[in-house]
Parts: sequence; C-alpha cells; structure tokens
Amino acid sequence: MTTLQQRFPDQKPEELFVPEMAKITRAENLTEQDRIFEIELPGGKDLGHKPGQFVEVSIFGFGEAPISITSSPAKKGSFELCVRKLGGLTGKMHTLGAGDEVGIRGPLGNGFSMADYEGADCLLVSGGIGMAPLRSVVDSILAEREKYGRMMLLYGNRSPADILFTDELEQWGKGENNQVLVTIDRPAEGWEGNVGVVTTLFEQIELDASRRTVAVVVGPPVMYRFVYAELSALQIPDDHIYFSLERRMKCGVGKCGNCQIEGKYVCIDGPVFTGEELRSFRESI
Amino acid sequence: MGPTGVISESGLRELLGRICEKSRLMAPVKRGKTSFDFEWVEDPEKVELGFARTVLPPKKAFMPPREKILEFSLADGKTTPVLDKEPFVLFGIHPCDLKGIALLDWAMGQRHGVSDPYYLARRGAATIIGIDCTPDEYCFCTSVGSADTREGADLFLTPIESGYFVEVLTEKGEELLKDAADVGEATAAEEAAAKAAWEERKQGVTTKINAEMEALPDRLEPRYHSDIFEETAGRCYSCGTCTNVCPTCFCFDVDDEVDLLLSTGTRERKYDSCQFQDFAVVAGGHNFRGERADRVRHRWFRKFVYLLREHGMPFCVGCGRCSKSCTAEIGMVDVLNSVLAQAREEVVR
Repeated sequence: MTTLQQRFPDQKPEELFVPEMAKITRAENLTEQDRIFEIELPGGKDLGHKPGQFVEVSIFGFGEAPISITSSPAKKGSFELCVRKLGGLTGKMHTLGAGDEVGIRGPLGNGFSMADYEGADCLLVSGGIGMAPLRSVVDSILAEREKYGRMMLLYGNRSPADILFTDELEQWGKGENNQVLVTIDRPAEGWEGNVGVVTTLFEQIELDASRRTVAVVVGPPVMYRFVYAELSALQIPDDHIYFSLERRMKCGVGKCGNCQIEGKYVCIDGPVFTGEELRSFRESI
Repeated sequence: MGPTGVISESGLRELLGRICEKSRLMAPVKRGKTSFDFEWVEDPEKVELGFARTVLPPKKAFMPPREKILEFSLADGKTTPVLDKEPFVLFGIHPCDLKGIALLDWAMGQRHGVSDPYYLARRGAATIIGIDCTPDEYCFCTSVGSADTREGADLFLTPIESGYFVEVLTEKGEELLKDAADVGEATAAEEAAAKAAWEERKQGVTTKINAEMEALPDRLEPRYHSDIFEETAGRCYSCGTCTNVCPTCFCFDVDDEVDLLLSTGTRERKYDSCQFQDFAVVAGGHNFRGERADRVRHRWFRKFVYLLREHGMPFCVGCGRCSKSCTAEIGMVDVLNSVLAQAREEVVR
C-alpha cells in the first residue's frame, strides 16, 4: 500500500482536504445534460493521472463531487472532465465556463492498468455517461496504437441526443483494427443504427480465440449484470474483465465510508475491480 | 505493571481542578436523570466518577458530531484548514472506550495509508485518564477483548477503598500526576484490592457473545442471508442512533455552509450512518443498499466480518451503547447470537 504522502509527495498532511484551485480554459455542452470542461492546474502542471481515475471537484458553497477524468494522460498541460447535470454541484458546474475556477483534489482511485492490456484485444463496453471515463482508455490505446491488439467499442445510449463525443466516435472507428458500435435503446426518427440495449451489440463482434481479450466495462449500475453475462458467454476469464464501479465517494481517501462495498473502499481499492473481485462481493452490482 | 500509586478522592478532585486551570478538561457529567455525557468542564465538582456509560462515546473529543474542516473565501477561493491542536485532558475513559479510541486511531490514522489531519490534531493534543467501571446488563466487553484495555491511556484509575489505585502508563501521565496532592505509594494490599476489583468487574459482565472473535467471520459469512437480519429490519427505524453512539463508527458526510453575504463559508463534516436510507445512493439515483435488511446486515458484518478480517479485531468494544440507545430495543448481542444459533441450512438461499 502506498501512503498518501508517497502518492502526493508535495502535499502537506494537514492539507489532505484542501482543494487546489484550477482554471477552466474551455467548456462546451456535448448534450443537453452533459458538459465538457478543459481544466488547467496552476502553472499548467500535469494532473498525472491514469485512465479511470477521478478527481473530487469543489465548488465552495456547493460542496464536492467525484468526477471521472475523461482525457487521457497523453494530453499534457490540462485535463478534461465531462459532467452530467444530476445534482446541486453538477448543476452549478453547468453554469461555469472559460475563466471560472473550481477546486480539484486528486487524481484519486486506482484507475485502469493499461500495461495489463498491452498485446491484448480490447473490448470496451460503455453505457451513457460511462463513456466519459472510457474515453481516456480509448485515447490511451490510440496514442500508442501498436501496443494493443484490436479495439472494439460497444456504446449504448437512451437516444441519439444522449450520445457523447459523436465526432470522435467516427474517428475512433477508422482503421481496420478498430470497431465502434453504437446503439440506442428505442427507435428514434433519423436513427439508422442499431436499436436495443448495449448487449444487443455483442452479436456483431467476433473474438479471436487464439488471442487474449480483455474487457473494460463502464456504465450505469443496471448494465453490469447483463454485460457480465455476455462476457462470460464469450469465455473471457474473470481476471481479464475490468469493471469501473460507481459509488458515493465523499472524501476520496478511504475515510468517510460512503463508498464501501463489504470490506472494500471503492475510492481506494477501486473504482476499477476485476470480474474475479466482483464475484467475491455480494453487494457489488 | 509499571509505576503505581494511590490517590484519595479529594486529591483526585483537586487534581481535576488544577487541570481545569491549566488546560481544557473533557469529562463525564450527569445530563438527565440517569444519563451521562462527555462535556467540556470548568467545575471539577461536576465530574462524575462512577457511571456505566455516557450517551456519546469519547470519540466526540477527536471527531465532534459536527466540525469545521476548512474555511474558504468565495471571492478568491482561498482555503485554510481548521485544525484544533489546543491541549486538553480527557478524563473518565473506561477500558472499552479506550479500545474504541485505539481502533479509531487505526481507522483515522493509518488505514489505507492516509492520516486524517483533523482527527490526529485533536488526538495528539489529548492526555487521557482512564477509569475502571461498573458494568450493567448491556455490557459485553469480556466477549470482544476490551475488558482490560490500557492502550492509549496516560493514567488509569481503579476505585478501591482507600481512594483510587493509579497506574502511571506514560511520561505524560507521570507529568500530570506531579500536580496532584495526596498521592501515595500503593501498598501490596492496595494493589491486590485493585486486581480483585478488575476480576469482580469482569465477573459482573454477564452478557456474552456465543463465539470466539477469531471464528466470527467464517461463522457469519455463510449466514449472510439469515432471516434474522430481515426480522431485525422489521423493527429497525433506520434512525442511525446506533452508529452515532458507537465508539468505533467513523463514517462522515461533508457539506458547505456559506455566510449570509455569500463571501465566506466553511466546509463541515458530520457523523453519517450506513443505516440511513440514502447512505449508498449515487448521483444517478441507484441505491446500493436500498433494502433496510441489507443495511442492518452491513452493520453486523462490518463490525464482525469485514473490519475484523482487515484489522484482526472486531470493530465493537462491547460498551452496550447501541443496544441501550435503540428505540426499537434491538440488541447487538441478541442479533449476533440469534444469527450464530441458526444452522447453516436454515439460511442458505
């Protein structure tokens, strides 16, 4: 176990809960409920995160909320958060734009270990806002494309208006080793793509049995059980499946207890857990 | 046993008076007809020396029910952590509560490689005087290994006929005792009297958990789906009293308070409870422990499975506060023993 002091050598112990003020350099609505922010730490220093990690965003008077990082570590000098308007703090955040400041603590959580996916075919499954953290995985793969095998991205949404990163999705699908499949839950006017929940996309992919495949899953809690069943049917071993779990992470440093799953703390031991770990908890999904 | 002594009751009151003059004193005082609580005390005569338990445990000295952690300015985003490092003496800590403090020291101090600065600031400022107790029917310290705790105490007092038998446990304790008048060396008879008092106290603890602590995780695990948790949930109000009064519960919530002019404010934290219905709700509205029975089970499993496995000790010190305070008369030991009494096949789903 690394201590906090090892993780944040510059941080004074007394300032554990003191956020660093960071500047929003760009903000843009991606959908009606999702807004992306480019954020710069003082001096333009790197956040130093791994894909799948999160930060606690502070707006004084509104509190703090855990938000996953949507940009990949390959992006230098700033990072991005994609925020869905759901509560008080995220609602307030949607009123902010370039030039405004927010407090940042982090990066927090374990994140995805990209080194474990090197050489493997990567099956990425996401639903809704789960695409935000998964985007950092996609961009990490694309930044060092030769290190990884095929990239298959399955992405489910309620309606065409909810789809995030539409331009990027098209870019990501280019190249023979990349496959991007998008679906919406119910038929919609003007939509010619797949209709049905994300698991209906599984019949459109074919795994190469001679190769190692890893699966990375980020989505709403309701999605996990069904996706896990599909991945098991594809005979992807449990220790090659990585789930990012959502919990209410108040402190982000393993103290406040809100994110416990049995004996684990999602903010410290997670949010990324393998299928093996997931099966050992009874209240995980 | 280290250095010992004996102090008379009047000598002890006088010592408490000197402590009040020199620093702050938090000690048990009588609140209602039969209830006691730890409070900041200025009059040593108000300090209670004999009581079964306080309503809130002494964790409030290190982790108040509500505390400011940051002061901030909305104008420039400047933040200052609020740390309370002013020395104080915490008096009247029973062995079970000493164990509670030791467990919190781990949870807030080293667990997950993270030290909580607010807890540690107050903890580092404290000198602790323990005192032996008179158990009642709610106590079960002998079942959870907390009956003889001295850990964390600087001095420990045991009432005997001639006054209080004093164990000097640290240099800080020795220093404190220098201010006391009427302290003598303990005779062999006085030491024997103290030992007899400890034995008698332990004999007086009649509520027992029907299992050895180290066996509990493996015995409870297969009883995860026990209907006793459902039945207990049928009586529970999810009020959170049990976790509030628990010496080893430390979950907290954080929120901001802003002044009327919207110029400055404070970030504060307060006790949270895994028993509250919305404790595990996430932003999208999903509740990971929406069923009351799941929350009830979580409490017992956290105390006797998860944290016991992680730390090697149960996160229950047998103080009896949760059982005594529960409006639905749900007993910690009753529930545990009922689950343990069930045969495996009764609870497998």
